Amino acid sequence: MEEVYITRLERTKAEILASRKQAMTVVTVCGGTGCHAYGCLKVAQAFEEEIKRQNLHRQVSVRTTGCHGFCERGPIVVIQPDGIFYQRVQIPDIQEIVTETIKNKKILDRLLYVDPKTKKSVVLEKEVPFYKTQERIVFGNNGFIDPKDIRDYIALDGYKALAKVLFEMTAEEVIDEIKASNLRGRGGAGFPTGKKWEICRDSKSDVKYIICNADEGDPGAYMDRSLLEGNPHSVIEGMIIGAYAIGASEGYIYVRMEYPLAVNNITLALEQAREYGLLGQSILGSEFHFDIHVFRGAGAFVSGEETSMMASIEGKRAFPKQRPPFPAQKGLWGNPTNINNVETWANVPYIINRGAEWYSGIGTPTSKGTKIFSLVGKINNTGLVEVPMGITMRKIVYDIGGGIKNNKKFKAVQTGGPSGGCLPAQLLDLPIDYESLTRAGSMMGSGGMIVMDEENCMVDVARYFLNFTQEESCGKCVPCRVGTRQLVEILTRITQGKGEEEDIKKLQNLSKTIKSTSLCGLGQTAPNPVLTTLRYFRDEYEAHIKEKACPALVCKELIVYHIEPEKCVGCLLCLKSCPVEAISGERKKVHVIDQDLCIKCGACFDICPPKVRAVSKYTGKKKERVLKKASDPRVNR
Amino acid sequence: MKIRIDEHIIETEEHKTILEVARDNDIFIPSLCDFQGLEPFTGCRLCIVEVSGKKGFPPACGTYVEEGMEVKTKTARLQRMRRQILELILSEHPNACLICREKENCDEFKSTIRKVGEVTGCVLCSNNGRCDLQDIVEALKLDTIHFPSVYRNFEVKKADPFFDRNYNLCILCGRCVRVCQEIRGAAAISFIFRGTKAIVGTMWDRPLIDAGCQFCGACADACPTGALSERAVKYDAAPDARKETICGLCSMGCTLEVDSTQGKLLSSQPAEQGPVNHGQACVRGRFMIRDVFSSPRRILSPMMRKGKGLEEVEWDEALTYVAQRLKEFKGKEIGMLISPHLSCEDNYLLLKFAREALKSRKVFGAFDDSVYSAYQRMVGRQNLLTHLNYRIEDIGQADVIFLLGEELPNTHPLIWLEVLKTVKNGAKLIIASPFDSPMNRYAVLSLIHKPGAEASLLNFIAKDIHENTDSEKLSRIKGFDAFQSFLNRLDPSQIPELTGLAEEVLRKAARIFAEGERRAFLFGSRLTLAAEPEQNLISLWNLALERKAQLFPLGGESNLRGTLEIRKDQPGGFLSLSKLVQALSSGELKALYIVGPVPPVGKKKPEFLVVQDSHTSETAERADVVLPAATFLETEGVFVNTEGRVQKFNKVVNPRGKSKPDWWIISKIGRKMQHRDFTYKNPSAIWRDISRSVAGFSRISRASLNKREVFLQEEKRGEKRFLSPKVKPAVEQTSKKYPYLLCCEPNLDYYRNMIFSKENRGFRKIRDARWVMVSLEDAETLRLKGGEEVVLESTNGRCQRIVKISRAVPEGTLRARYIPGDDADDTLARLYTSQTEEPRLWRPMPVRIKRGQ
Repeated sequence: MEEVYITRLERTKAEILASRKQAMTVVTVCGGTGCHAYGCLKVAQAFEEEIKRQNLHRQVSVRTTGCHGFCERGPIVVIQPDGIFYQRVQIPDIQEIVTETIKNKKILDRLLYVDPKTKKSVVLEKEVPFYKTQERIVFGNNGFIDPKDIRDYIALDGYKALAKVLFEMTAEEVIDEIKASNLRGRGGAGFPTGKKWEICRDSKSDVKYIICNADEGDPGAYMDRSLLEGNPHSVIEGMIIGAYAIGASEGYIYVRMEYPLAVNNITLALEQAREYGLLGQSILGSEFHFDIHVFRGAGAFVSGEETSMMASIEGKRAFPKQRPPFPAQKGLWGNPTNINNVETWANVPYIINRGAEWYSGIGTPTSKGTKIFSLVGKINNTGLVEVPMGITMRKIVYDIGGGIKNNKKFKAVQTGGPSGGCLPAQLLDLPIDYESLTRAGSMMGSGGMIVMDEENCMVDVARYFLNFTQEESCGKCVPCRVGTRQLVEILTRITQGKGEEEDIKKLQNLSKTIKSTSLCGLGQTAPNPVLTTLRYFRDEYEAHIKEKACPALVCKELIVYHIEPEKCVGCLLCLKSCPVEAISGERKKVHVIDQDLCIKCGACFDICPPKVRAVSKYTGKKKERVLKKASDPRVNR
Repeated sequence: MKIRIDEHIIETEEHKTILEVARDNDIFIPSLCDFQGLEPFTGCRLCIVEVSGKKGFPPACGTYVEEGMEVKTKTARLQRMRRQILELILSEHPNACLICREKENCDEFKSTIRKVGEVTGCVLCSNNGRCDLQDIVEALKLDTIHFPSVYRNFEVKKADPFFDRNYNLCILCGRCVRVCQEIRGAAAISFIFRGTKAIVGTMWDRPLIDAGCQFCGACADACPTGALSERAVKYDAAPDARKETICGLCSMGCTLEVDSTQGKLLSSQPAEQGPVNHGQACVRGRFMIRDVFSSPRRILSPMMRKGKGLEEVEWDEALTYVAQRLKEFKGKEIGMLISPHLSCEDNYLLLKFAREALKSRKVFGAFDDSVYSAYQRMVGRQNLLTHLNYRIEDIGQADVIFLLGEELPNTHPLIWLEVLKTVKNGAKLIIASPFDSPMNRYAVLSLIHKPGAEASLLNFIAKDIHENTDSEKLSRIKGFDAFQSFLNRLDPSQIPELTGLAEEVLRKAARIFAEGERRAFLFGSRLTLAAEPEQNLISLWNLALERKAQLFPLGGESNLRGTLEIRKDQPGGFLSLSKLVQALSSGELKALYIVGPVPPVGKKKPEFLVVQDSHTSETAERADVVLPAATFLETEGVFVNTEGRVQKFNKVVNPRGKSKPDWWIISKIGRKMQHRDFTYKNPSAIWRDISRSVAGFSRISRASLNKREVFLQEEKRGEKRFLSPKVKPAVEQTSKKYPYLLCCEPNLDYYRNMIFSKENRGFRKIRDARWVMVSLEDAETLRLKGGEEVVLESTNGRCQRIVKISRAVPEGTLRARYIPGDDADDTLARLYTSQTEEPRLWRPMPVRIKRGQ
């Protein structure tokens, strides 16, 4: 019986592979959310039509795959099996690609990625610097798989780990394997996954649940989304293995409704898995029964907290609960429940397939394996990156990320989303793992990484994140609901130049109380952006408060725009772009900004030609000087 | 288990939170969101403590004690953080007065100014002095707030009856939301929005009345601030007296705390230590007590008919006249109607007066149709061994609850709370009713059956159980053979026709009922308002005997059981109201002494009519003498609640106007009629007689009441045996002329002659007594609109109603609630009052329905 099912899985794989032999060349078009926005679906369709038109469809197939990660350069097209990497492919390029590259094996130089450092074109995907430094395990198959087709996953050894677990391993052995791998929760807190499973397994109950936390809410983070969209079966396989280890009979994938493609793909994947006997009664002919439901969250950030997620699934308001009891003891509907993040689940099949030893060989002594980060902000190569634990921030920012946009100076990187902290340039060589990030005052979080340059005001950044947590606080406990509100009030005051000397102390004091007395992780980490910016960028706070100056020239109330008379060529560009008609002047005559009318929108600054650069921003004493001059009747009139 | 809190070493037990243990031992830990009977919320974070070996600062209210735990509650760090949290709370709540330096002087020298629209400080708040927030500011000695105030500027919500909601004062402790969900099961309110916008509200911000609120007032009682405040007393002075008494408005017997100022009754709240209600009440006890006392329809002076109208007279004149006139009639010409709202003492004296002074045996009671009367009658007649006493907590022991014939949330709110709690703990609830109701969502099985099919329904369940269980033990019980052959004669193929239910559904009900281990039968008035009430009770009795279930009869008025007990051993018992109607129309009765409410007795007035009542009525307006009686709030006495619990209620205010307690009036008339026995000085003197002569109260001393639990004494007699029911109990039939079957249920929203929905606009909004429920289908055929006036006509008479269209009633059936004492022209009783035959009040009645007045 057992043999039959395993061989059936293997036979399916063999059949799929055999059926694909003819079509040796595969054009993979990235179908991730970023490329979607660039119009990848139309590109893929155009490829199909073109290939058919040229009568190549017997030898060449087109596949819309999961996210390749290099979102900055979408739509991305990779021609397999060679791995020729074309970026920013548009519909007019397609005919040429088919004729030249596919038919005549000629590389089209203009579509290749040019390494900005060496100025050389790169042909192969794996040679692109963005990918070179990465270690893509969880994301590894994203670029090869059509997430809407389970056969693609099976063809790449999908569900092999599940078969192994079901027929060769006991539940205890699975847990031991995961424990030995040292896999830690990828949702942020980094609790050892194997231990978590063990606690839940040891809880006595007839009914147990597992949940996949896909309520990714950090601004700028989208790795869970890309996994669900790009390789849903790896998550499902991980969940089934987890359920087997824990003894759960039902699972939930809690995914936000704002991720329609993820909801779509995962729902489809579950249907296909059921069709293949991978879910439901007697999975693969074993005695193990398990099924998964998709639960769509309504977009509340706090629902990502495990206890409020369970409340939400129960149909209640997403309010977190005091722990203990922990979900592993008393979770969903009062039954033992294990919650893991999407990425954690997706790691599981790889660990089972390749062994704990292999896995624990990657990373640092305390943090094993790889971690996916979403690299966004003022960085050249925006995208999703998967790197081994322990890599330095510098490598991520400069080698993979390609450095700061427009050659500006690096200032800070916010890790861990709104609950994390801002790490400064002096920590660029910090090896990234759970402990080091926490020591630095930030956290791993789910893996958001927002890069900031010299044009970011750190007080303003702190205010931005606190405003986010303030709005997303569930309202249940006082320190979080009112505390964050008061933090925002104080920060806003500082950015408006109304800060007082004791404000810094007040911020620290209140932040400490919020951290130590809040009910759930949201409140307990909410002050992190304030505390880290205070720790690493205290001078900026002091400049705002004491000198009423914003060194980054961001806080509107503290800056002034000024047209340098000696530089202005009188081109009328800024005058025309000003929305409030605050600029006066004539052609070939120096333009002047009326400071009383100016709303500091920055339109003049942006439009002034780079050659001229006549508009400047000033703050602090220089600002006072400009204002004084402006109010001087001799100059003005 | 031993734990240490600060310097105290405390012996305690598991499953208690640190906060509970601290409270038990008088250790103060500040807390705002914790509330009696609710699950820990851990929202306010004021009760944070330090526990050795535990990370961070766990909240005392949500942390359970463990062996050897060491807890610190007052470290400097904790106090500093608590103060900061309190500052945060106050930054959203008007705080000027709380931290004002002149606070003490202000409290002492300035009077409260309450008549303001916007509360910006404590002196403008109706909750001043009764505010948990104030207490905590005091306890934590907070004198500065370092954060700017944020006024949230919510509009005060005034659209609902009874209380205003000013969420500018809300601190989001969630007590109201949780009490509404966890204890009351209504879930009318919830938290809405999130972040700084988070607040308490209803779905789509609709008024409470649309959100399914029952106006029990639990939320207002739970509110630690002035956010929820009772409108009627909002602008009144602060109370100068608070007295505890028993609510006299229904058979629950809740303990209330009644506030008054200078003899004026202010408001009532449920008492936390109430043995029946444990801090809960319902809309009647919470919001109607004040109206009972201060109603404009109170009779405040004795009145006599002089010429055409009634004129106010002195007590002596009225009493002398009554005594003199009553002597003119023979005993059998005089009738007396008593009220189950009166105390045991009052009713005992009234009966004694009828017996000894009037020499009359014609004592009528408006409760012959009540469950208790009917059940007691059956038990007595059949000589059955059973208990009538029970405890509401006993329901909590059950794992299957079968509810028949009562809409508990309205009629027996406290019992409903117990049922809810039991269901939440895993018990299965089966509800059998001709109508759907919001309470049915808590049932595992709703049996929506044909009106009047209760007996058949129960019989078929008994049959199914009999077929599927071993009945060897049962065969030893007397009457089993007859019962068995009766069951065998039942033909399951008739189930749909007789009950309107599918056979599988009944079998499912039988299975659920049989599978339970501790079964509870709750049965109410609909069972006894049938064509053949006894058939229903017999079937119920048999099923309860077959599968050993405890029977819980559901009482009606506040002292129904006490009243029945007093008369139990006396010849004649109470005569039914139907008999009174008949006796009056036939002219058999010449004089009538009424202390209770009476349905319309036809145009014919007896020669001499005395009305002794607290509130005026149409009957009173036609009386020869009207005597003002005090309400239960203005005198003392003993009530027996539905459980059989004997409780003493207290005088909380002096009688209004010239009104006097009923026992005083009767004593005086008795004396005037030269009966030496009527020399009682107070109710305790009467009680001495009662405890000597009434079996159920024998050897119960009045002093012992309310100090310990006292129940009616029940004698053990009779036997357990199966009764023989009819195979096809009679069911009322509709005809072509009267095609609709009107089902009436008692409405307990009245006290003596005061009908709450007629007197109080708010009450009318939530529970109008004047509706008739029409099914969607019938409304369509008749082209009726909701709110429209219609006329119901039976063979006997007609009455007016207001249409309420509902999915809850089946086609062809109408549903209405009657008020036993409603004597107005539009009362349902008119449909039953016949000149020719003895009317059987409140049974299902074939009627027709017409639009218009």
